[in-house]
Parts: sequence; structure tokens; C-alpha cells
Amino acid sequence: MPPWNPRIEEMPIDELQRLQFKLLKSQIYRLYSFNEFYKRRMKEHGVHPDDIRTLGDLAKLPFMYKSDLRDGYPDRIFTAERSELVRYHVSSGTTGKPTVVGYTERDIANWSESLARAFSSCGLGRGDVVQVSYGYGLFTGGLGAHYGAERLGATVLPTSVGNTERQVELMQDLHVTAIACTPSYLLHIAEVAEKMGVSIRNDTDLRMGFLGAEAWSEQMRTRIQDWLGIRAYDIYGTSELSGPMFTECSEQKGIHVWGDLALLEVVDPATGEVLEPGEEGELTVTMLQKEALPMVRYRTGDLTAIDTDPCTCGRTHPRIGRIRGRVDDMLIIRGINVFPSQVEHTLLGIPDVGKHFQIVVDRKGALDSMLVRVEVSEEAFSDKIPDLMEIKRKVEHRLRSSLNVSVEVELVEPGTLPRFEGKSRKVIDRRSL
Amino acid sequence: MFWNRAMETIRGDELADLQLKRLKWSLHQAGKTGLYQRKMREAGVSPDDIKTLEDVERLPLTTKKDLQAGYPFGLFAVPLREVVRIHTTSGTTGKPTVVGYTRNDLDNWSELIARNMTMIGLGEDDIFQNAVNYGLFTGGLGFHYGAEKIGMTVIPSATGNTRRQIEMIEDFGVTVIHCTPSYALHLAEVAESMGKSLDSLRTGIFGAEPWSESMRSELERRLGLKAYDSYGLSEMYGPGVAFECPEREGLHIWHDSYLVEIVDPATGERLAPGERGELVITPLVKEAMPLIRYRTGDITRLMDEDGCVCGRGQKIERITGRCDDMMVIRGINVFPSQIEHVLRSLPEVGDQFMVYIDRVKHLDEMTIEVEMSKAAFSGELQDLARMQKKISAELQNTLGLRTAVRLVEPGSLPRFEGKARHVIDRRGDA
Repeated sequence: MPPWNPRIEEMPIDELQRLQFKLLKSQIYRLYSFNEFYKRRMKEHGVHPDDIRTLGDLAKLPFMYKSDLRDGYPDRIFTAERSELVRYHVSSGTTGKPTVVGYTERDIANWSESLARAFSSCGLGRGDVVQVSYGYGLFTGGLGAHYGAERLGATVLPTSVGNTERQVELMQDLHVTAIACTPSYLLHIAEVAEKMGVSIRNDTDLRMGFLGAEAWSEQMRTRIQDWLGIRAYDIYGTSELSGPMFTECSEQKGIHVWGDLALLEVVDPATGEVLEPGEEGELTVTMLQKEALPMVRYRTGDLTAIDTDPCTCGRTHPRIGRIRGRVDDMLIIRGINVFPSQVEHTLLGIPDVGKHFQIVVDRKGALDSMLVRVEVSEEAFSDKIPDLMEIKRKVEHRLRSSLNVSVEVELVEPGTLPRFEGKSRKVIDRRSL
Repeated sequence: MFWNRAMETIRGDELADLQLKRLKWSLHQAGKTGLYQRKMREAGVSPDDIKTLEDVERLPLTTKKDLQAGYPFGLFAVPLREVVRIHTTSGTTGKPTVVGYTRNDLDNWSELIARNMTMIGLGEDDIFQNAVNYGLFTGGLGFHYGAEKIGMTVIPSATGNTRRQIEMIEDFGVTVIHCTPSYALHLAEVAESMGKSLDSLRTGIFGAEPWSESMRSELERRLGLKAYDSYGLSEMYGPGVAFECPEREGLHIWHDSYLVEIVDPATGERLAPGERGELVITPLVKEAMPLIRYRTGDITRLMDEDGCVCGRGQKIERITGRCDDMMVIRGINVFPSQIEHVLRSLPEVGDQFMVYIDRVKHLDEMTIEVEMSKAAFSGELQDLARMQKKISAELQNTLGLRTAVRLVEPGSLPRFEGKARHVIDRRGDA
């Protein structure tokens, strides 16, 4: 698909790296000179902006963590005057005070530009009608996708989350061609549509989805694409970076991260050591042009790997693989690291079970136990003599071999597990209770 | 303070010339739609017949029914690729009203809201909490874009989580809040219970439902702000059509963008200056969805022709009522016919119903009493509960609003002769 901003998107790598270095250098100087927080951090770390002589010197700088934003609540580490701010977004923290992100006019413009590039790399354009079914308001998903699609000149239908039957009607009646929402909400929409007698594949013009804000897998993509007859693209971003910012291109081979806006590293979550391209670890992002709330070596908590090979689409910017999990979602079961995404991945490879599951972790005596509740697929359920015991054994076996930890499986009827609009919460950890 | 002094103070011949020029353009734009080709033909009038502003009376009126009949894109005067936004509102029947916007439409809409907010002294240093629904409802995105145009700091808080809203007002030093008046009272109550005085708040913008002068005094006293009335409707972009200036005696309506008439709601005849009747608006710069003489259903009158001491032009009085039976519940339009429609689709219930609207802790609550059908009336408690749940769910789906449903015995609701009175609004003057 033709680039939205060809000069940037197809910039030769060496030129892109020179641009990144220039932007990095001026950002670091600006922060050191005008902001107490960053200056103190750099001083404590024994590093001065003059020490940044190559892109590789980025590793000399200190990391930033989500706790820095919380400690700075609401706006103590902002680097723009209040009068320059045009927006706040607020994400609810799991503990105590929320995280606040401020934006200048240019921050909003760069955010929209980033998504306009991303959406058009999937072939979205002015003729499309985009249903934005992320939540609007303090959450960045709704307004982020909204501004990106508007920048592109597509027709935006701001449905937000909820009233799913109405969403299905509007999708049909207004000839919606693209949707932006969480993967679990898209599945929910599709299920509601089927109950209404509407097949998204046959009865709507939907042809693509931008799915994110929660972890999903390749198998889930295959399932969504086959079932709904659309192309499903992964979208990445967190409110600290601005919001949803980057997507895959039509090649579906990793998420393009625009190098003029973000500088990437992947580090070992335990040691902070910088890993090589291709190695999986914690994504760490330095935002090169953010004004109100810059991020330098921000530890996202997301697990992925960087791919620096140029994409077959012609865009030169580095890509990241699908987010494999959260550093802090990681469950430690009897000393073994387990990610909910691995469970999802395994279940999607078993046709007898559905796509919804729930993990319950408990402690029996001194030992951790892990129970996975999973819905039997409609077909297996309607079978005259369902050999449920056999399915249960099969699922347990598959999970044990992929997670390296023994798991008890409970099969439940299709449609009985809770569906979440917005981020799925699939893990119940009872060990601390 | 003015955002666009020239347009805000334009009057006399200069205004009339501009309005006529823009009216002709709007007629041309509307003529691109099948609806207006037909309506103009039926009225026996062509755009060329409109030589003065007085000739506008020869043009056909447009009603909400016309918009619904055009569902979904029948009123769009531009190809879909030029439409950058769609909003929808619930209508009297199953299908919603669809409103489309070009990029220019969005710019014009934001400009009008920027004028409104500048008129009451707001500027780029203000911190604006936008506590109305975002999404398909025009209130949220409309004010969001307008405030952003001015360069204010926008907190898109939307509705809900009232304690969080109050914390944000405190923590961010919010100076301006936009919400429904009933939600503002709810906020005041919760803030008082939390012991928060919300000192930073100076300005409140309230709209999307009718509110009284006594409510204004109460809001100003309890929230320590100055309260302004805001009027708008999705068909005219959304909020921002008319707005109070600091005088707060009537609402300024932007005459460069809207041609205003007052008609008799029963006959559609134009009324004499100063008489109270139905507000009819012809938008003058709308591209995607031009409308001619749109009947808003709102009752008001045109005020002093000489304009206002603030320097701007003729105002309209605050809206005093609706000429149809539409109810506004928590900012959402509800028609009795929608309820009837839902009930008719359920065999277990009869078609008799009563609606009660109350204000509980400053929030609108709607209770619907429904008669069971004789056949379904088993008296089993379980059956009743299941039925109640089903009816509530169906109503919520159609109305976009939670309602309480009370099932009553067949034959126990009052029967009316002639036009039924199904609605008892007990909100009074809260």
C-alpha cells in the first residue's frame, strides 16, 4: 500500500539513523537543560548529554518506569507549560493514583500522523468508513484511533464501546469497511451479530480490523480472519507513548514503529541489559519528539523482539513482533514462568474448544495449582455423545507440554465464561487471598 | 471577548446580504439530494424564486420524519469519501437519524463552539473537563473540538465515576466543566459528601436537557461557578447552535450560520416577531447535510431585534418546552412511541403502559409500568422476574437507557380516550 508520508516511511536506514540521532541529542539536551526530573536522573546516573555521541550511547541513559509517572502525579514531570497543554488522558492504575499523560498540540499532531501512516499502510483511505469501537474519553484508544482515521480523511463513526446490537446495525447500514477495537470485543460483536442473524462475512462490507489494547495471538488472527472474512491487523501503543500508535502493514509481518518518533530497545527484564535484534525481552521506548511528557528508555513492560530487516512493503522502519505478554502479567507457577498468552496460543490450536478461557491460580497446601476453564466448541458440545473426558485430557496434555507445568482443565458450556468489553481480564490469582 | 468579531457582530443589510447569499448556496447544495428535489417540486418552488430573505417562507419545512425516511445516507449532499464523521441519534422509530460532516463542517462546528466559549471569557489557559458522553452523541466530541480549537487543555472525562471526576477537578485545577445540569447537581452532592469545595471551578456549561433559573441559582451556589445555558441539536452539527453571553438573558444564535424563524407548531405558519412558537432553522453553511427550514420541535421566541449590550445580535429565549412528546432523560431523547414499539413486539405483554419520570438524587429515573397479557399472566414469581428482565433488556437496547420495569395485572392501567397520556413527568422544578 502506498505510504502516507513517503519521505519518512521509505527513508534509507542510514539516513533514518542520522535523523534519530539528531532528534535524540536535541531531546536529551532539552530535558537536561529545562527539566529538574530528567536532570537529576541523569546526574544520579553519572551521564551528561555530551556523553551521547552515537545512537548506541542511548544505553548510557537511565531507564524510566511507570512508577516515575505515578510518583510525579499529576504533572510534576511534564516538560511543557500548562498553557501549552491541549489534552490530558488518564489511565486507571491498579494501585492508588492513576497515570496522567499530557499532550501539546504537536504531540496530538504526531500521534495522529503516526496512526495515519499506520492505517494507510494497511490500505485504509478516504473511501473507508471506520467504526471506532474503542472506549472514548480518558482512555486513549477511542480518541487516538478517531484522530488517526480523521487525519487520513476516512469517514469516522465514533460508536465507542457498548450497545452491541446497535453497533451491528450501524456496521451493516452505514457500510462500515473497517473497525478499531479490542480483539475480544470484535469477537463479541461477531457473536451478537450471529444471534441477530447477521453474518459479518456475508452481510457487511467490513474488510479490516485494527485490533489491540490486549494481547492476542496468530491463531486468534487466523480464526478472526477466516470467520469474519476480514484482514485483522495488530495495533500497538500505550498511553505513555501517547496511545495506540503503530500497526502492522498489509504484509502482516510485524508492527512498524516509526523511527522518527520512537527509538526502540529490547532489554532483559531482569538485568536491564540490552538484547540483540530478534531476542525476546522487554520493549523499551525513547520518544524522540514528544513535548509534554517525553519518555526516555521507558520500560513498557511488554515482551517482544525487534526485527530490523527491511519489510517487503518497502518501509524501512524497524518492526516489533506481536506482544507475547506482560512482564508483570507473568504468572510464576511452581517456579515456572507462565504467560496467559501461551495458554491462549495453545487453546486456539485445539478445535474442540472455543476461544474464551479463564485461568484460576490457587495454592493447595504449599503448592501452586493452576486451573484453566475453557469453553467447549459449539460443534463438540452439540455432538450426541461428547467424549468430554477425552477432550479434557487432550487439553491438559497440550497445555502441560507447552507450559511445562501441570494444569487442571475444566470444560464449560459454550457462552458461559464472562466476555469483557475492553481489556480482557482472564486471570484470577487467589494465592494472595 | 470575541473569537470572530466580524461574524459575531454582523447586522443589518450586511447580515441580510450574507444570509441571502448563503441561503442560495444552501438551496443549491440541498438540491443535490433526492429529498429536496422532491420537496421543492411538491412545494412548486425553485431556488431561483428565492430573491429576498422574505421568500424563505415559500420553501418547504423539513421534519425529523424526513430525516428518518432518508436513512441512512439519503440526505447527504456530498459523496461518502468527503464525509469525515458520522453521528447518529435515536429517533421515534427503530432506525436512528444519521448526520454526516465534511471536514469544513467540522471546522465550522468547532468555530461556533470556540465563539461560544470565548464569549463567556474562556481562553487557552483554561482547563476544561468535558463530562458528557463521547462517541455517537454529539455533545462530547463537539465541545472537545471547540475547546481544542481555542487551545484549552481538555480532559475528556466523559460520564461516570463521579468521585474520579471530582478528584480530577481538584488535581488538575479544572476551571470549566461541561455536563448536563442534572449531572452537575449530582457532582455537587458527591463533592459535598467528600468534603471537596472545588475551588478552581469558575464556569459551568450546561445543556442537553431543560433546566430552570432556580436550578441555575442552586448550581452556582453549590459549585461556586457561573452557569451558562447551551443549546444545540445533532441535525445542526450538535451543541453550539445558541449560547448565553455573560448577560445571561437569552441565547445568542449565530446568524451568519443559521437562518432563524419561529412558526406556529400546529400550522407551520410563521409567527410575528416576539411571538412564542417552534424554532425553525435553516443552516447556511452545512455541506454534507444541508437542511431547509428544519423544525426543531423546541419552543422559544426571538428577543429584542436590536441585539444585546455585549455587541452581538438578536437572541432567542431559553427553550421553554418541546412541541412533541419527546422526553429528555439524562440527555437522551426518548419517545413514547419507541416504548410502544418495543412492547408491541413482545407477546407476553399488552400494549398498555405508563411512564413515570422522577429525579432521584438529581439523576433522571424512568419507570415503566406494563400490563401483562392475560395469556401470559401466570402469577408465578419466577416468570414475572424473567419477563421483567427481558422487557428491561429490550427497552435498553432500543432506548440506549436503563429503565425500571414494573409488571401489573391486565386491565389495571388507566385507559384514555383520544390521545393517550402515557407519560407522567414528576421531575418538576428540581
